[in-house]
Amino acid sequence: MDLSLVLNTFTLLTLTTLSTPIIFPLLSDSLKNTPSTITNTVKASFLISLIPMTIHIHSGSESLITLWEWKFIMTFKIPISLKLDFYSLTFLPIALFVSWSILQFATWYMASDPHATKFFTYLLLFLIAMLTLIVANNLFVLFIGWEGVGVMSFLLISWWHGRAEANTAALQAILYNRVGDVGLILCLAWLAYTTNTWEIQQLNSPHQTPTLPLLGLILAATGKSAQFGLHPWLPAAMEGPTPVSALLHSSTMVVAGIFLLIRTHPLLSSNQTAMTTCLCLGALSTLFAATCALTQNDIKKIIAFSTSSQLGLMMVTIGLNLPQLAFLHISTHAFFKAMLFLCSGSIIHNLNGEQDIRKMGGLQKMLPTTTSCLTIGNLALMGTPFLAGFYSKDQIIECLNTSYLNSWALILTLLATSFTAVYTIRMTVLVQTGFTRIPPLTPMNENNPAITSPITRLALGSIMAGLLITSYITPTKTPPMTMPLSIKITALVITILGIIIALELSKLTQTLILTKQTPLYNFSTSLGYFNLLTHRLTTKTLLTGGQNIASHLVDLSWYKLLGPEGLANLQLTTTKTITTLHSGLIKAYLSSFALSLLIILMSAH
Amino acid sequence: FTASLLLGTTLTISSNHWIMAWAGLEINTLAILPMISKSHHPRAIEAATKYFLTQATASALLLFSSMINAWQTGQWDITQLTNPTSCLILTSAIAMKLGLGPFHFWFPEVLQGTPLTTGLLLSTLMKFPPITLLYMTSPSLNPTVLTSMAILSTALGGWMGLNQTQIRKILAFSSISHLGWMTIIISYNPKLTLLNFYLYALMTTATFLTLHSTKASKLSTLMTTWTKAPTLNAALLLTLLSLAGLPPLTGFLPKWLIIQELTKQDMA
Repeated sequence: MDLSLVLNTFTLLTLTTLSTPIIFPLLSDSLKNTPSTITNTVKASFLISLIPMTIHIHSGSESLITLWEWKFIMTFKIPISLKLDFYSLTFLPIALFVSWSILQFATWYMASDPHATKFFTYLLLFLIAMLTLIVANNLFVLFIGWEGVGVMSFLLISWWHGRAEANTAALQAILYNRVGDVGLILCLAWLAYTTNTWEIQQLNSPHQTPTLPLLGLILAATGKSAQFGLHPWLPAAMEGPTPVSALLHSSTMVVAGIFLLIRTHPLLSSNQTAMTTCLCLGALSTLFAATCALTQNDIKKIIAFSTSSQLGLMMVTIGLNLPQLAFLHISTHAFFKAMLFLCSGSIIHNLNGEQDIRKMGGLQKMLPTTTSCLTIGNLALMGTPFLAGFYSKDQIIECLNTSYLNSWALILTLLATSFTAVYTIRMTVLVQTGFTRIPPLTPMNENNPAITSPITRLALGSIMAGLLITSYITPTKTPPMTMPLSIKITALVITILGIIIALELSKLTQTLILTKQTPLYNFSTSLGYFNLLTHRLTTKTLLTGGQNIASHLVDLSWYKLLGPEGLANLQLTTTKTITTLHSGLIKAYLSSFALSLLIILMSAH
Repeated sequence: FTASLLLGTTLTISSNHWIMAWAGLEINTLAILPMISKSHHPRAIEAATKYFLTQATASALLLFSSMINAWQTGQWDITQLTNPTSCLILTSAIAMKLGLGPFHFWFPEVLQGTPLTTGLLLSTLMKFPPITLLYMTSPSLNPTVLTSMAILSTALGGWMGLNQTQIRKILAFSSISHLGWMTIIISYNPKLTLLNFYLYALMTTATFLTLHSTKASKLSTLMTTWTKAPTLNAALLLTLLSLAGLPPLTGFLPKWLIIQELTKQDMA
């Protein structure tokens, strides 16, 4: 059987299956969507997408499907093509698996919402945009997906649009993403200008690529993946419902930036400046996010900051010239992060909307399935040996330690790893163990299979995915095999150190001593003062500057002093002087005549 | 009186001898004086007096210049004016007659004191003989003097005209400016002077007649004429713009040609 034909067919079948819930209601009035139909559609897509992935693992076949060519300028063709290589074929089932679980969870979470079907349609649209981004071979198609996920993120974050914070958060998301888009467009323009193509398989530069377009790419990734500098939107995006946070802001959308960098990796690898930028930016982001997560009290914000921190780690990996490892981390991270968000969603709904971890406690006895999956997720996040996170995270830290690159980035990343452990353990301890701090009458019920099956499925994924993926792919770069023992167990040691510190500190909560407001604590709680500084200051300066220029400079100076009125004033003075000369006395006139005559006669001789 | 005017003008234009020219100019002056002072208003009398004084001085200077030339060269031919001094004096005399700067001070007040139709005659017909004389003697005139007088009149006419409310004074200053344009080109291409004069005469006649029919003598009167005769007002607008020299209108033509000629002479 022709394997490539099967590959192509099933991939296209996956994508079309996803778009059926969008098209069918338009065709006939009796084909309405319900949340369960959409969930089943995604489940079917997932099962179909396993086939191309299996084919790829079995025979290593990749393919390139060109659907149509957009020729609006004759010399620059934009073919709409799909690239089915290792990255897209592996990520497709993972994304669909995670989305299926999230959608199943959302049938319970959003059951009381009057517009549940619209919610699911939005999620489906988002998924389609994301998959377009993944399988795109042309950077133009990727850009379409890029914008699509941005717009859907805006719509979904402001789902409860009656809430003012939700609206501002959605605006923040769009604005910060837009700033990143500028970078992407810069890179696209440069590529169109120099290499005359936007195809990914044609992107390689044997010699040094100029730094500017690469900086554009890094800017795009900073915006989309919430690196330091363009990061405030990610914690703010927690205003959306939990399924939104799970799908967008943990597994799929935020990895779009990193995915872009993976796809354009041949361009990046030759430019050392770009690599160093990635490295330092990633290290800074991961440490900053981990610091902020230490003192957060909202469970969703803690998980959001941990996402941000892991994204920084992925950026660090790209900076180390290891795109495949970054992709591995993306894949494993998707599983346990989505699960963490779903568990938090279950907790929040069961506690009737309570999101503050200071008001939770002792949930281990009351919500056993949820909390055990929460624990599994946290352990995976910390990189516990042989769970999913270990395969990617530990390998990243090993490579970081054995490389000859920036040691400052190394220190920051190690520090961030220990902080990860600290805040994770803090969250676990405060949520699950200890005395309960919840109100007495809360109806808790997690017996609904709509909650338990997605969470347990994802838990299974978190445990197995790392092992499965690393066993079946052949790495393009050989990982470092030999290193001193201390380097090998650095990640582990640091994590354990973090756990011990966290456990020690958590005992403080039982000794009734109030936390002192030290500057460090303030720094961490107010998210590094970044929000406060940038949001007000820049906009206010720009607006007042603009007003000054418009009213003072243009209106008052140019028009009144120098321009039209100035000229008119000039004429006025002259006119007034001359009018006083014309007095009307004939004697004066005649004498002036005589004088002029004399002057003329004198001057001629 | 109009007959004597015509007689005087014709005499000057067709003369070849300086005495004939002078006689014609005198006839013109004498004929127009009663027309200026017809209304016996003190302002009109004042205007007549001023006019008489300046024109008499000018004619005397004219005669003087021709006498110097006759003494030097022994002939009274108009086109053969070669003595430099007499050329200069002639230039100033004609300038005084026309109302060219710096000899222009009489013109606005005289025009203000005259009724509108007489003012028309003053601006157009009375300028004709002196310009003819200038045209005939143009090859031998001193260009520097002419240019400086022309520039002075153009500038003064423009600036003074800004501060006026009486329409006749505005028209006086406009005539001074136009005379400046006419004079500046006379040493290089006299035909353009004549062209400029003809077009100017046409436009000024149109303006004066329009103003006469609406009896508007002040700017404030002019503003209310649109209710009485709207089309006439619109026509006046176009005429005034043409006087100003706006491109699609006729008034632009002499200005353009003069500037072109001056550029060829490396002056503009």
